[in-house]
Amino acid sequence: MRKLLGIGVIAGAIAVGALVPALRRSGAQQKPAVDSVTAPRLAVGDSSNLKGPRQPIFFRHDIHAGQLKMQCQYCHYTVNRATEPGIPSVETCMGCHLVVGGTDSTHKAEIKKLRQYWADRADPAKPKLEWTRIHTLARYAHFPHMRHIKAMGPNACQTCHGDVARMPQVFKVNNVNNMGFCVSCHIARKVTRDCTACHY
Amino acid sequence: MNDDTQGIDRRRFLTVLGVAGAGTAALSGCSTGKVEKLIPYLVQDEDQVPGIPTWYASTCTECPAGCGLHVKTREARAIKLEGNPDHPVNAGTLCHRGQAGLQGLYNPGRTRAPMVREGNARKDVSWDDAIGRLVQKLAGASGKVAVISGAGPGTFSDLLAGWTTALAGKLVRYEAFDRAPERAANKQVFGLDELPVYDFAQARHIVSFGADFLETWGPVVEQQRGFAKAHGFDGTGMAKLVYAGPRMNLTGMNADEWHPLVAGTEAALALGMANVILSERTSAPADAGALAAGLAAWTPEKVAQTTGMTTEAVRKLAREFVSASPSLAVAGGVGAQHRGAITVAAAVNLLNYVAGNVGKTVRFGAGIPTSDGYGAMEDLITAMNAGQISVLLVHDCNPAYSLPKSAGFAAAMAKVPFKVSTSLFLDETAAACDLLLPNHHALERWDDVAPRAGVRGLMQPVMTPVFKTMHTGDVLLKTSQKAGGPLAQFNAPSFEAHLKQKWAGLSKGSDAAQFWRDALVKGGIYDAAPAAPSVKLAAGASGLTWAAPAFDGPGEFVFLPVPSSMYHDGRGANRPWLLENPDPVTKITWGSWIELHPDTARRLDIRDGEVLRLKSPYGEVAAPAYVYPGVRPDVVAMGLGLGHTEYGEYARGLGANALDLLGSKDGDGFLPYVSVKVEVEKTREYHQLARTDGNPRQLGRHIADAMPLAHAAKGYTVEESLKQVGEEEHEANTEREQEALGGFREKQVEKQKFGAYAEEHPRWGMAIDLAKCTGCASCVTACYSENNIPWVGYDNVIRGREMSWMRIERYWEGGTEPGEPFGARVIPMLCQHCENAPCEPVCPVYASYHTADGLNGQVYNRCVGTRYCSNNCPYKVRYFNWFAFAKRAFAEPFNLQLNPDVTVRSRGVMEKCTFCVQRIRGAQHQARMDDRPLKDGDVVTACQQACPSGAIVFGNVNDPESRVVKAKQDHRGYHVLEETNVRSSITYLAKVQA
Repeated sequence: MRKLLGIGVIAGAIAVGALVPALRRSGAQQKPAVDSVTAPRLAVGDSSNLKGPRQPIFFRHDIHAGQLKMQCQYCHYTVNRATEPGIPSVETCMGCHLVVGGTDSTHKAEIKKLRQYWADRADPAKPKLEWTRIHTLARYAHFPHMRHIKAMGPNACQTCHGDVARMPQVFKVNNVNNMGFCVSCHIARKVTRDCTACHY
Repeated sequence: MNDDTQGIDRRRFLTVLGVAGAGTAALSGCSTGKVEKLIPYLVQDEDQVPGIPTWYASTCTECPAGCGLHVKTREARAIKLEGNPDHPVNAGTLCHRGQAGLQGLYNPGRTRAPMVREGNARKDVSWDDAIGRLVQKLAGASGKVAVISGAGPGTFSDLLAGWTTALAGKLVRYEAFDRAPERAANKQVFGLDELPVYDFAQARHIVSFGADFLETWGPVVEQQRGFAKAHGFDGTGMAKLVYAGPRMNLTGMNADEWHPLVAGTEAALALGMANVILSERTSAPADAGALAAGLAAWTPEKVAQTTGMTTEAVRKLAREFVSASPSLAVAGGVGAQHRGAITVAAAVNLLNYVAGNVGKTVRFGAGIPTSDGYGAMEDLITAMNAGQISVLLVHDCNPAYSLPKSAGFAAAMAKVPFKVSTSLFLDETAAACDLLLPNHHALERWDDVAPRAGVRGLMQPVMTPVFKTMHTGDVLLKTSQKAGGPLAQFNAPSFEAHLKQKWAGLSKGSDAAQFWRDALVKGGIYDAAPAAPSVKLAAGASGLTWAAPAFDGPGEFVFLPVPSSMYHDGRGANRPWLLENPDPVTKITWGSWIELHPDTARRLDIRDGEVLRLKSPYGEVAAPAYVYPGVRPDVVAMGLGLGHTEYGEYARGLGANALDLLGSKDGDGFLPYVSVKVEVEKTREYHQLARTDGNPRQLGRHIADAMPLAHAAKGYTVEESLKQVGEEEHEANTEREQEALGGFREKQVEKQKFGAYAEEHPRWGMAIDLAKCTGCASCVTACYSENNIPWVGYDNVIRGREMSWMRIERYWEGGTEPGEPFGARVIPMLCQHCENAPCEPVCPVYASYHTADGLNGQVYNRCVGTRYCSNNCPYKVRYFNWFAFAKRAFAEPFNLQLNPDVTVRSRGVMEKCTFCVQRIRGAQHQARMDDRPLKDGDVVTACQQACPSGAIVFGNVNDPESRVVKAKQDHRGYHVLEETNVRSSITYLAKVQA
């Protein structure tokens, strides 16, 4: 996985325009995260009809993770080494979208919003990108993402987060803040059920 | 809600509310029902990985010792300060004052932007405006500029000195707890105008003449480490510590013998000891013979008469001192700084010299920084009064507070037309200034400090500044560039560039960029200490004369100001961690107190808490009384550091300022702290002291056990030792009880056969060596810092609601009958993680339970707050969160210091020591990520990490090779309240008394 990530990062650094084919290649070397899906064409206005909260930018996980088969870890880059998965910085988005401007008007409009956030980055008075959080864990529970990726592999994200690669707008599939959800899995896999594994 | 006007009744209201509540929950799909935002970085910081701490090396600036820091940052904010293991001064540990530097960084009392005074109000201005004003005032002020700086020696101090010189100004480097008398004595006796380094670790016998070397005198962390090494029991022997002084302070509490000398007579004892040594021993250095004639007058009889000791004690002390070689005598400290302080230090120099310690445990040539002393400050006050100063710049010190009122600093300062402060806080001096140019905190700026020869500690910004402050180095450079003229020579674009340029000069020809990077990683450069010069007696050594120091005023009692181990010279008084951490001796929090001997109290009919008014010729002070057998009957003592009139919401108005009583004259270049006699006046008012000690006596409970050195050397256990001294037997269970308990024990152990408990797990345990623990309470602050423990304040401490998961219990020993020696024992008390924990079976909701790896777990989200567990805990180490303490304790910007790995507990939850379970889990995560088993030393608890003595060992009890198992096998090991059969996981190793 680290190798894949490395390839992705190098590709991004060398030639942003060549990134998408590079990722496609790298994706082909390993079993893809999800089956190839064709993302539906959706206008911005459609997002409110979709499940899940509406986000400031209609970011399409189904295009990025599904159609383009980008690895989750390309953006959520610390998930395999830290407790937090990491929210990609605007800079990370701009790594591609400096060049990738979108294929149709609805995409272009969303990418334009992103570029505006980037253009305003030095001005503290300008609005900042604020995603609406979907998966929240109570503060008294600690979930080390890296242990779960280590145990279940790099594509284990969907175990809790659902098939994000097919979601035009991300919604909550499982209530991750429900202890039963955690414990049922821990029972099935015969791993620790000690309270202080998570609660401290 | 008014039913009539709203047109909605209560039932309807609740129905609507219920539907709305459910709707919200359903819509957001989140059980908390709150919409949270995720705000991504615009540009990802390279150093920061969310969820993984980033560590930066830095240097502590809380006192002149210059300890090395490792600053733990999470998501680009500093959350904990630990010692830098590479640093020669503190070697990886840190005192409570150093750790509380974090509360200086996030202190709400910080000056948040540059300000100017207009009339009685202050108004924010821009930095350009502020610097412009300074430039304008400096324009015609050449030769009339004065600068007072508390900054340690380093690049900044050099720049400041050059800057002041360019303006033909006067620079006074001022440190309140200056060691000027010792320097003067070293010059007199050895011809060396400097301070030595004392090697406590090598000393086999230590005598302290009033020097509080575990509290404020010298580099305390280094000294405590050395002292613990020398005074801790190593299996065969230990050094003995004797403390001579009118009050038993923390250093005195750790002493094996305390001699309550008449105040001001330390020199007589030192001279008498030197005399005994010289007259009884021939192996003293050759030139010491010249001293014999001068010392001959100091017969043990005369010494005994002067100091109040017995002649036999003087002889014994001298013989013990010289027979254990090398030994060490130290003198100094604010609590012994009377008008004869130079003579004391000089006499102790002679004592060290005749015993052959100079060059062994007393090493000169260390390059310990010194300040200009009080004499220079007196000159400046005179100049200010004479109108010779038109611009005064005060940097990093607070003379308006730390000088006695009688010194007249405030009045002199008022005569200066334009006063500038670079203080981080609105302290007493800053409040009197016209322009405030708040400096960055040490954790926000580039800087360096040279605490001794060969050592240069570097500071780097570990985070974006919390407020709109500016590095004073940059202020000086910007001012220079605007003003031009003689200042134009300071043309570096920024202080950072200036610092790097200076450091390039230190690289001695190696690649400067690489040298800089290496230094940043290590936290500085640590070259070997220069070779100590050979020290000979100077001509002035033999002409030492002693006269009893003079005390001002007609009062009955000598007034002894006590330097506070928590607040130092007062700079710690705005940090709630230090205010809530009890004084190591009296266990009093949040306030001042006046100490009196029980005999005095009985005679004057004074009880604990009665507000007394002390009157000296210079002023008066009122504070509640604390009856303390560790102070001479002819002395009253009071702590320094409180009674601020400014300095933020926590310090302002808290306690009383003992400096108000002091005179400032006739100090011979230093401030005579112990120089007044006071009258004690009863006010008939009472003020409850916020004490955290319960019963100050052990009452046969054997909580903090000790054994004589003779027994320890023979390998006796605590019980064997107790039998030997004929003390009543340790309250063991009877045979029948043992029988019953045996069955109970088996049953308890049986549960370990089931479920997860049957698998192989580590079992966490701890060993605490009471022979090393000094009771300094560094661990307490470390615990507060690591575990997000809220402070509760005076009102709650008096109700016993303090939350300190770890506390230092202090018990008095002896002193109840006349002639019986008085002493103290300390013991760190924290959750014992009992195997048969009494708190577990009584919890109705299983919030308190035993983990498979031997922890006594506490699940906050399960806890319903019945407090049964606390009622059933024999150690009283469970703390109930009565109110939402965290809301107040971590109000902005203190919230930035929270450790994200630890839950912030809410109201109504029981909490306690977790053995730093977040560190255990973190180490387990890391081991798993590295595909390796957990090894000994992977888990270091916060208290263990901070302990300057190295008294705490933590580890896996199931690993026979672990350090903790080895420590637990020590014959001195015992469990507190073992007879309760709770099978505690903490083994205490009994203190050893030489």
